[in-house]
Amino acid sequence: MAKQYDVLFRLLLLGDSGVGKTCMLRRFTEGEFDPSHISTIGVDFKMKTIEIDGLRVRVQIWDTAGQERYQTITKQYYRRAQGIIFVYDITDRASFQHIAKWAGDVDENAPDDVQTILVGNKADEECSRQVTKEQGQKLAETYGMEFFEASASTSSNISESFIRVTELVLQAQKRDVDNLLGSLDSYLDQVALQEEKSSQDNHTQRTCAC
Amino acid sequence: MDQSIAIQETLAKEENCIVAAQCEILLEDFSESRLLGLVECSKEHAIFIYSHRRMAITADDVSLEDIVPISLDFAVVEVSSAEQLVVVGADTRVRMSYKDEELELTLPFGSQSRLFLCEVNKAWSDVCRSPAQVPKFEWINKYKKAIKSQESVKQFIAPLEEFSNKVNQHQEMEKVSDKKGSLEKVKTSNSVTPKPKGNSSQENQSREERDDLVRSSSHTTSNKAQILAMPQFGLRDNLIKCELLKNEDLYTYLENFSFFLGTYNVNGQTPKESLRPWLSCTLKPPDIYCLGFQELDLSKEAFFFNDTPKELEWTKAVSDALHAEAQYALVKLVRLVGIMLIFYVKKEHAEFISDVETDYVGTGIMGRMGNKGAVAIRFRFHNSDICVVNSHLAAHVEEYERRNQDFKDICSRLQFRQLDPTQPPLTIMKHDVVLWIGDLNYRISDLDVDKVKDLITKNDFETLHSYDQLKRQIDEEAVFVGFEEGEIDFQPTYKYDTGSDKWDTSEKCRIPAWCDRILWKGKNIQQEHYQSHMAVRTSDHKPVSSLFIIGIKRVNSEAYKKTFEEIVRNIDKMENECIPSLSLSKREFHFKDVKYMQHQAEALSLFNDGQVPCQFEFIQKPNESTYSKPWLTANPSKGFIPQGGSMVIELEVFVNRSTAPDLNCGKQEIEDILVLHLERGKDYFISVTGNYLPSCFGTSIYSLCHMREPVQDMPIQTLLKLAEMSPDDDSSTAEKPLDIPKELWMMVDHLFRNAVNQEDLFQQPGLRTEFEEIRDCLDSGMPDSLPGSNHSVAEALLLFLDALPEPVIPFSFYQQCLECCSSGAQCEKIVSMLPQCHKNVFSYLAAFLRELLKNSASNGLDVSILVTIFASLLLKSPKKQDLAEKTKTQEFFQHFLN
Ligand SMILES: Nc1nc2c(ncn2[C@@H]2O[C@H](COP(=O)(O)OP(=O)(O)O)[C@@H](O)[C@H]2O)c(=O)[nH]1
Ligand SMILES: [Mg+2]
Repeated sequence: MAKQYDVLFRLLLLGDSGVGKTCMLRRFTEGEFDPSHISTIGVDFKMKTIEIDGLRVRVQIWDTAGQERYQTITKQYYRRAQGIIFVYDITDRASFQHIAKWAGDVDENAPDDVQTILVGNKADEECSRQVTKEQGQKLAETYGMEFFEASASTSSNISESFIRVTELVLQAQKRDVDNLLGSLDSYLDQVALQEEKSSQDNHTQRTCAC
Repeated sequence: MDQSIAIQETLAKEENCIVAAQCEILLEDFSESRLLGLVECSKEHAIFIYSHRRMAITADDVSLEDIVPISLDFAVVEVSSAEQLVVVGADTRVRMSYKDEELELTLPFGSQSRLFLCEVNKAWSDVCRSPAQVPKFEWINKYKKAIKSQESVKQFIAPLEEFSNKVNQHQEMEKVSDKKGSLEKVKTSNSVTPKPKGNSSQENQSREERDDLVRSSSHTTSNKAQILAMPQFGLRDNLIKCELLKNEDLYTYLENFSFFLGTYNVNGQTPKESLRPWLSCTLKPPDIYCLGFQELDLSKEAFFFNDTPKELEWTKAVSDALHAEAQYALVKLVRLVGIMLIFYVKKEHAEFISDVETDYVGTGIMGRMGNKGAVAIRFRFHNSDICVVNSHLAAHVEEYERRNQDFKDICSRLQFRQLDPTQPPLTIMKHDVVLWIGDLNYRISDLDVDKVKDLITKNDFETLHSYDQLKRQIDEEAVFVGFEEGEIDFQPTYKYDTGSDKWDTSEKCRIPAWCDRILWKGKNIQQEHYQSHMAVRTSDHKPVSSLFIIGIKRVNSEAYKKTFEEIVRNIDKMENECIPSLSLSKREFHFKDVKYMQHQAEALSLFNDGQVPCQFEFIQKPNESTYSKPWLTANPSKGFIPQGGSMVIELEVFVNRSTAPDLNCGKQEIEDILVLHLERGKDYFISVTGNYLPSCFGTSIYSLCHMREPVQDMPIQTLLKLAEMSPDDDSSTAEKPLDIPKELWMMVDHLFRNAVNQEDLFQQPGLRTEFEEIRDCLDSGMPDSLPGSNHSVAEALLLFLDALPEPVIPFSFYQQCLECCSSGAQCEKIVSMLPQCHKNVFSYLAAFLRELLKNSASNGLDVSILVTIFASLLLKSPKKQDLAEKTKTQEFFQHFLN
């Protein structure tokens, strides 16, 4: 049996209060949907194990309070995130417009290599839609993010969104490791080369001495 | 190496070191090795911390530094857990706290550390579970003296508390660089680059190592909850393995394979004839051959040097005689002196054989030598674990109990190494299928030779078998418990004249016996035949064989994946349920009409609705040095709540003279957010709001002089504007200010009219409730005359002066006052330079006090009393005041009372 847990990543859900972050998290980790809205006051997290390319990845997903007045505090949690999922509600134009603000905060507070995606939630509520799919798509493009329309209620695209952002994080981390390993390898090569040279030098000297 | 033995030597008789572990204690910028021992005495537990030299072997190697009792004040938590890429095999970092002391430790990756933490956790949960039984820890006292005499200890513990707090803060901030750090670690452990000192031991251990504690331990649900409460203790993999094992039926199906087992005591002979009659007696080629030999070589060389040419000779003879219709691969051979076991598999099955291990046990001379004993091979075939044992037990008719003992010794001493070195070795009985063959040497007793031979001639093996020692011993459950043996339908295999089928004709004339046997243990095993092979005549024994059809577990990979995912899902779910959690009675608190020096409190009750004990603490927000604004406290601000327990926290608001100035002018409001953090868990935000009623207490003389209305009737913008103006620029205001604050006038005038003859004035305290009435009256202007006793008004006056943000003698004049305190004229000169409103207040107060002194006969006041009381209120140092300065301020003020 292969090694099961190689890595643990931290993901963060961001977006206005009421867009469905907590519901998405519950849907993903527990497979359940509870339509009652108890607004998250504070930060909460859940764990989930997923498989990507045969590698088991544990993700710790943080759900934050969306209320304005808590934002100075919630910002400090951004720093620890490797992946961020921006969420808006397709039936609430304001929540969509606020994505710009959320993205700005992330720019300021999160690590540079943080991976982000955009999710328009409540895609099941087609009749009260206020944000078109194209608008979502376009915004995502502006920020260079991938985009999903999802529904915690029907479960559509929920795991896809979480898994996609985790894949992005994994790729980014792999790049980091590879870079590091690469530079170390070349360093080691260099050291080896120098040693070889100096031993050659010794050798030359000895032949001269004879 | 079990270092608990060294610790045990230092302990009293009734104390018991349960488990020991080495760790690194983190100090400011380096770490030091310590030995930890979990010590138990009459059901109480404590962690003993030792410094040690080398690996501790005896008591001399360790010296006790500190003891941490495991009581309700104790806590241990994993830190830095999810902060970074967590690589399997990483060290475990934990924080232990006891009362106000905290220690931060790193335990090396490995089962010893985990065992230690598990035991500590167990002890701790026991304490938490029955909080009524408060442990006394009397047995620890005797060690205290020893610890004290060692100054060095406290030295390292003390700065540590501070340090570990710092670590907490830093951990968050250094996240980014931390991550890099861990990547570097990945590399260093892969290559042979020199590593920086400090993060030792990690690299020493292979990251491939996995954890254990598994098969042996039974995980009950509560057990699991505990394990999961420590996610990085690495037990997750084991839980999965355990669950996989338990649910094997869901993803495996049985497929039959044929196993040919053979045993042959060759009496030291070399092969002289083909072994085909024995090994190729089956119709179809078997899938697996396991063949055991005994007395392969009886020479001294074989005995002493375990070296014999016969190994090769017999192996060749066997290879030549295997079933001709299939090709076989020799997988493994193991030999102890004359006891040899060979294991072949049909070529096409070879790829499904894994985890092949061997071991042997000598039970011969001195109970150790290899003339008797057993060899064994274990292997995994598809998903079944199989163990084959070939044993040669003690000889002689009467020695059957010795044989029973040999069997037991073999079972307990024979152990197979596991691939994962942290796993405990496997024993014979831990296998799905055990096949036991060999010259077990059990004889036929209570029957004389003739009778035996007679029964054999009659083919009455059933009757004869009832005299068989092995059968009798098994029936008595004295040996081979749980094993089965097929019906014996062949004549005894011992003892023949070599080269013939004739019974032993030597002097000894041995009674025939079924020495050579084949037994099995396990499910889904079908014996197809069990027979001896008379045609083989090389030895004084006949070879025996048995063909088994064994149901081997094969994995359905689809189902395996499904089961595996289900298990992972369940463990995730359990883990999520084990995240510490509280329910809060209220998330928002509103304090109405907060007033100066008036305490208000609200209760926040916490209930631990999670499945684990929980440690909580109010933590600082970014850029703030305390967890709350200075007018707010949470009591207690941190603590521990056992599972299902609850606790009430008082949120207290109290505005004192240092917080009043900003609140009075609206620079600050009653508004704060508390962050209630659970160790290893979520954070809750608690919002605190309220409205503050501004007061003249804590408002500057300058501002008050510009208020003709009571402070609470002033618009807040005006208050803020006044607060931002300086006492020096009087010109800017249109309206002429009051000479002195009307509130001050009201208090002094009240005293002047009512209290000039009052005894003990300024010396007897007033009433709290009266102070509040006086404050409200001054701040709201109602009623016109002050309520309360003279003492209460006098105290209000002192409090008023004390609360002034800028004292009557402003801070900037303080130094000058000290310098010229001896000269009355100079002192007066300084006073004349004060800002107008301050000068007025000073003169007014001095005049009032002089007036009081005129009535000293009735009120008992004198200069020195008044100077002592007022000098420190009128002249305040911006820094801390020392005694000499105090005397000078009194000297200064005294000039004005004469
Ligand atoms: N129709 C629909 N309603 C949703 C969906 N997700 C969440 N909601 C509702 O939106 C409300 C707010 O959800 P919640 O998860 O608490 O939002 P949060 O503040 O972002 O955590 C709840 O009442 C949910 O019932 C969805 O996918 N479809
Ligand atoms: Mg929420």
